Amino acid sequence: MITLKEGNWRIPKWNRKVFAVAGGLTNYKKFCPEMKIEEQVMVAFRQMLENNDLKVSPVEIKGLINFLACGEFADHFQDQLLCEAKVTDYLGLDPMYDIGIKTGGATGGSTVLTAAMAIASGYADVALAAGWERMSEVDTRTGNYYIATAACKDFETRLSRIYSAYYAPMAVRFAWAYNLSEETRAKVAVKNHLYAYYSPYSQQPGKYTIQDVLNSPMSTYPLRFLECCAMTDGAACMLLCDEKTAYKLTDKPCELFIAGGSHTLRVADRRDMEIPLLPHETSEMYKGLRKKEGQRWPGFESFAAARFAAYFAYRTAGITNPLEELDLVELHDAFTISDIQTYGDIGLRPYGQEPDYIESGDAYFGGKCPANLSGGLIGTMHAVGATGIFQGVECLWQLQGKYDKFHGDPRIWESFGKKKPEDWKSLQIPSGKQALWVSHAGVGSHVTVGILRKAF
Amino acid sequence: MATKKKITKYTGKPAKVLQSEPALVIEWPRNLAHRHTYGKLSPFFKGLTQGRLLATKCVNPECGEHRLWLPPRADCPDCNQPMTWEELPQPIIGTVHTYARVEYAGAGIELTTPYFQIDVELPGVCTIFKGYLQYGTAEIGMKVKACFRREDPTNTILDIYWIPVADDTDSRS
Repeated sequence: MITLKEGNWRIPKWNRKVFAVAGGLTNYKKFCPEMKIEEQVMVAFRQMLENNDLKVSPVEIKGLINFLACGEFADHFQDQLLCEAKVTDYLGLDPMYDIGIKTGGATGGSTVLTAAMAIASGYADVALAAGWERMSEVDTRTGNYYIATAACKDFETRLSRIYSAYYAPMAVRFAWAYNLSEETRAKVAVKNHLYAYYSPYSQQPGKYTIQDVLNSPMSTYPLRFLECCAMTDGAACMLLCDEKTAYKLTDKPCELFIAGGSHTLRVADRRDMEIPLLPHETSEMYKGLRKKEGQRWPGFESFAAARFAAYFAYRTAGITNPLEELDLVELHDAFTISDIQTYGDIGLRPYGQEPDYIESGDAYFGGKCPANLSGGLIGTMHAVGATGIFQGVECLWQLQGKYDKFHGDPRIWESFGKKKPEDWKSLQIPSGKQALWVSHAGVGSHVTVGILRKAF
Repeated sequence: MATKKKITKYTGKPAKVLQSEPALVIEWPRNLAHRHTYGKLSPFFKGLTQGRLLATKCVNPECGEHRLWLPPRADCPDCNQPMTWEELPQPIIGTVHTYARVEYAGAGIELTTPYFQIDVELPGVCTIFKGYLQYGTAEIGMKVKACFRREDPTNTILDIYWIPVADDTDSRS
């Protein structure tokens, strides 16, 4: 049993407030031979500087940046050590210090966390969080193997060499423990592919039915191809500032809170432990949770890293009831099952009742707390080092009321060689105040929970 | 007499052009062998080739965790003290905690697909142990028996596999 002491439970505290002011993305696609990685980061950087209604010129903003956090998941793919030096140089930000961040699928979230710490500590007034991945440097099956080296190389990697095979056991166990149907899982895929249909940035848009998802080829039973994210080439940028600079740069800043948690690389090493309670939960709620033979927490059903990240993030941000206080969430739907598992970890539903978040309609556009209006990882992208930044940027634009500006402008579609669909619809939420995003690695080895709060 | 010029010659193999429009894309072959140590876990991997399953156990009386670890760890994560080895008695019977049927595996897979990857609960072990089922259909709660690839070992984790207890025949091919 892992026993935590007082210091472990200390709630992170910023020395001063941190704000997000602008973001930039790229056209996410499977294979982008027309641009090198630093050229893709430039696309995201330019969109961030030039299209976010900032009150200061791009060149002047560059003159304010004095720290970069650079996210890249895997040197295997890029095949370029110190890629961050190339990017910083290419963006014209030399000789500002850049730190390379590497926490698997949570790299983007960790990159934002690092940039935020630079602001909160006073190291920088303006910091850039930039992330990227170029996964098409290898063929898909080699890519599957590379990603599977984020399972334990001695005890797990050889047992499948594809990451869906490390999530599939969780899907099987979750279905058994908490009565999750294949249809509910498929609904997550249908929803996120559909939301991607409205995004010019998306890689896997589609109007699918539940049956289409269940009929799609099997990756690892029970997970089908349409339930899995794809590999992506792309980049994302987010600009963070202190309070004074934030209002100087924009009329629409959002305050940022972000915290993380980690857990074993191997799911099977997760010994049973007490559930850390979120502000709105009581231990009474979970008395019957381990009623089935062999049940443990977090086990194969849940992610302690996500629970700890939420535990710290909610307390840092003063959130007492997430479902009531959050207006939208962007979750790490690398697989349908990982999306569903997270509903319990971050308290959108109590553990054991996760499927109800989908079935109740809460997770949909127009619902109580819509999830992944960006199209998420399943529909839009998983250029791993960029993902947690992309999710944060989508949250930021929603709170700023800029969904239409960044998704509905036909010129953006055309610049990507795409045509805006005739039946395009706006997924702008009416009056959002707070948004949350989850950036998640491995089978739950690292998770950050970020919260953006409208500050205008 | 003219001095012979020393010329630096190209000794590589020209990169294959995969596409030339809209951008030039070349092939960049890799063929690398890493040297990987099993370190203090070497007894575990040697044990598999001898048909033995070795776990580790913390014997520090002040530590709160005295159950077995599988996969083993040389040092206890709770008290940080070195652990000792303990062999599991045969036959080793476990219970399937969960499973997956691998159909589309990544590059380099060494098992024929589809197959069941299983996570096995073992008595006295605080963790769950991942492996594969040699034949049969996995189900949660199913009893399975450990078998070892003693002849022609792979010297990897694939030297242990499981068979259903209900049909106790090791039909290795």
